[in-house]
Amino acid sequence: MMLLLWLVAIWLAGFGFIRWMFPQPLRWSLHNVFLFSLGIGAGAGIASCLYFLTLVLSGATFSLLPAAGGVALVIALTLFLFARKGALLDWAEGPAVPRYLTALFVLAAALALIMFLGAVAYNPHGEEGAWSIWNMKARFLLRAGTFWRDAFSSDLGFTRPDYPLLLPGLVALCWKLAGQESTNAPVAIAFLFLLATTGVLVSALGVLRGKILALLAGTLLLGTASFVALSAALYGDVPLSFYILATLALLCLQDRHPEDMRFTGLAGLMAGFAAWTRNEGIIFVLAVLVARAIALIRFGEGKLLARQFLRLLLGLAAPLGVVIFFKLRIGGLGDWMAVPGSTILRHLSEPARWIVLLEGLVVILFNFGRFLIPIFLALGLYWYLVRLRVDTRDRTALATAGIALALTLAVQLVMDILYVDNLGVEIGTAFERILLQLWPGALLVFFLASAPLQLIAPKPLEKGSKEKRAHKGARRVVETR
Amino acid sequence: MPACTFPWACSVKLIGLARHQFVVITLAAIALVSSFWFLLDVLGTANHSRQTFGVAAFENRFNDLPKTVRPHTVYGYLSDTPANDPSGLAEFHLTQYVLAPAIIRPSTHETLVIVNYHSKDLDMKLLSANHLRPYRNIGTGVALCLGDKP
Repeated sequence: MMLLLWLVAIWLAGFGFIRWMFPQPLRWSLHNVFLFSLGIGAGAGIASCLYFLTLVLSGATFSLLPAAGGVALVIALTLFLFARKGALLDWAEGPAVPRYLTALFVLAAALALIMFLGAVAYNPHGEEGAWSIWNMKARFLLRAGTFWRDAFSSDLGFTRPDYPLLLPGLVALCWKLAGQESTNAPVAIAFLFLLATTGVLVSALGVLRGKILALLAGTLLLGTASFVALSAALYGDVPLSFYILATLALLCLQDRHPEDMRFTGLAGLMAGFAAWTRNEGIIFVLAVLVARAIALIRFGEGKLLARQFLRLLLGLAAPLGVVIFFKLRIGGLGDWMAVPGSTILRHLSEPARWIVLLEGLVVILFNFGRFLIPIFLALGLYWYLVRLRVDTRDRTALATAGIALALTLAVQLVMDILYVDNLGVEIGTAFERILLQLWPGALLVFFLASAPLQLIAPKPLEKGSKEKRAHKGARRVVETR
Repeated sequence: MPACTFPWACSVKLIGLARHQFVVITLAAIALVSSFWFLLDVLGTANHSRQTFGVAAFENRFNDLPKTVRPHTVYGYLSDTPANDPSGLAEFHLTQYVLAPAIIRPSTHETLVIVNYHSKDLDMKLLSANHLRPYRNIGTGVALCLGDKP
């Protein structure tokens, strides 16, 4: 129980920080759903970074940690009550939402919840990758005391010592604060990230495109069985997908509210936490910086480049600093640095490796997400029947998100070609996970570019009403022309 | 109405209420049915199979050992699993996970060596072949042996 209370405290601290940036009255609103969802990731990232810094600075003998946690919570709650002015995020105007769409979304959420609970009840320690990498490190951080650096010993090469510590740090912190080591911590964290990812996707699309597309995207995300299964496996991929989505969603909102640069600052912070979650997050940080620069220059907003990059880098600075310190002083840069140039050249020049990669791409295209019908066919049908229509306000955001996701994927595939020895195994085991990391962001891009949907016939105009007269007038004008 | 960035994307001939309803219901149905199908798999696995190999099972096997485990100590490791059996590596990882924060090395050249065996009794031939002497048998397929490192 204490463990869950501490997790809620971390979440509230994150929410307090985010609400301080984007304050609005506390009530049930889309604005607060968005902030609550972001608060989970912000709280987790900040808590994990602070825990790691405490370990580095004072060793494991930090009896002050609960007190420091309490102080952080008080500060967050103070920020929570602090009144400032900020942009209001509300549903975008659009046609009426049919009840069946809401019901389908609720049904998808219920199925995802049952699936998650069923999977973690059967396997509370998660899949092998979860306990042998993430929870193993959490155990070392908690149990090893002053020898916590043993977690990064060369004897434990299979635990990937170079992997960043957002997840293990957060799990170990919860265990430390609660005074008990329970599987409830990683399970609750995984569930919160699943909830937060859905929350950010639905609320961001709700603000940008309206309720219909938001609920449809949410239904599709929660109906992606392998995404929910990946969350229940307690891997770091779903938290990473959350930070990628949050970064892209905040940059999209930035383009809708160009005067409020806090969106870009927070996007930088979320991208930094992505780098603190998994190594793929570091690739994403570089990709998003390149993508933002390309998009701003391409759509004639180059004058915003310096201003936005300053905010982006300000947000990035703290978590990226922690990642760089960790990589240089503790975890190391990873196995790929040790691969000789001759091996890289050999990998690059082997046609068989490219064929294996292409074959893997084709197979995954059909199997992705464990949908009964390949999802690319379903989305193709959607595109054919609904088409795309990009609002001029969203061009830069859409280009940023699209390029960032494509670059992240491309760089990861090239890294696989260059560095991985057993490419077949890597593609068989990790390829779908890489795509699932990008899946919520891809859904954001797809539905942001979609033409608006009309699911309920508009009510016929009443005889003699103002609208009817206006409509007749408009028709006369068209006919005259 | 916002302007269209890509003209080809706006040349829509067949937009209609029924088409939109059809595509939304199709997408949602694919997601929900796939999700339900997978849920049946998850529940079926949970109901029909009992985990004999996993963290919980290993923690039970090593139940008595972690009390003696101290941080920063290094143990050797030996198993009677054949070298080509993939479960051997997973068992080694499980042993490391259960005994953290001690460090387990896949070697018998340590002061204390953990022997993970699957037969009814500890195989003395396996121990002598690896220059190990029995120190403490936990009795659940796990024994602590003295290695050849002083």
